[in-house]
Amino acid sequence: MAEPGERPPPAAPHGGGRSDGAEEAQEGGAPAGPAEPGPPPAGSPGSEEPAGDARKKIDVLLKAVGDTPIMRTKKWAVERTRTIQGLVEFIKKFLKLMASEQLFIYVNQSFAPSPDQEVGTLYECFGSDGKLVLHYCKTQAWG
Amino acid sequence: MAGEEFFLGEKRFKQCCEDFVKHSQQIGDGWEWRTSKDLGDGYLSKTHFQVRNRHIPPDLKEKNNDNTEQMLFAHVEEPSDDSQAAGACSTEEVVRYEYHVLYSSSYQVPVLYFRACFLDGRPLTLDEIWGSVHASYQARLQEGPWDTITQQEHPILGQPFFVLHPCRTTEFISAVLGGSQQHHRNTNYITLWLSTVGPVVGLNLPLSYARLAPEQSTAVADRALS
Repeated sequence: MAEPGERPPPAAPHGGGRSDGAEEAQEGGAPAGPAEPGPPPAGSPGSEEPAGDARKKIDVLLKAVGDTPIMRTKKWAVERTRTIQGLVEFIKKFLKLMASEQLFIYVNQSFAPSPDQEVGTLYECFGSDGKLVLHYCKTQAWG
Repeated sequence: MAGEEFFLGEKRFKQCCEDFVKHSQQIGDGWEWRTSKDLGDGYLSKTHFQVRNRHIPPDLKEKNNDNTEQMLFAHVEEPSDDSQAAGACSTEEVVRYEYHVLYSSSYQVPVLYFRACFLDGRPLTLDEIWGSVHASYQARLQEGPWDTITQQEHPILGQPFFVLHPCRTTEFISAVLGGSQQHHRNTNYITLWLSTVGPVVGLNLPLSYARLAPEQSTAVADRALS
């Protein structure tokens, strides 16, 4: 996903509304991108990984809770360094929400990582079966 | 289950706080439970220090110290775009934050109270507090600062504290917990709530709190909730 000022989106994005660099993973479960080994499952022994691995994307499965609109595409390949805040902004853009509408993301449907948390770390802690499941909720949180 | 609301009883509030404090002690996160001997009520409390950068526009450097301090207050809530101005310098400032979690029997939810002061004891003003709300919440804040954070008397200590308004707490908690009874039981309400609202006011919970509930693999959760 590209934020203002970042590198341009990949060529030929699918459909409208997703021209900001996120890659759509195939619904069948195979990770998008070139055929290289996927990220190791969470809990595997900490083997030596080449520095290039830091740039590998992780598979994220987004699930709506509450009265939140459901994204047509739920599976995304996301850069490990993408923050929760970046992911929130991406989902809000995708769902065409206003800046002042609020969206929160949860792991284990029970804990909201802070906005500066990186999804790569979340994947290492909470990922399983090669993906990170995140629940998102459009709701007000105060008032 | 649309419309199903999940309220927090006081007994469960205390239990969740107890579990929360236990985990905090395990990881050295600094939360403690305090009781007021007069009222018999209790609340969670944590104090921590944050370093904030203050950006001083260049034309203020020539003024005397008193005026500079006045102008610092006026500028602290602006975004840090002016760091690009030629000659701008920034100073770091340490702010002491004290967070309290109290139970509201009228709303049947926990409520986050906090106060903040500089090391010389000067408390932050409401404007400064609004200015230090995390960037990702500023748009919402600016739509309604007065129903976000205001100053109120602490129900137990009787001193002025800032409070994050709790009127929508039940709404978002109910949305996230959904209709699964098992999920209600297995989730620590305080962890769910504080991880959501804490970052708004500079309070971030370490990820290990996410494992506070009885172990539940994501695969099991998927099947249970699909």
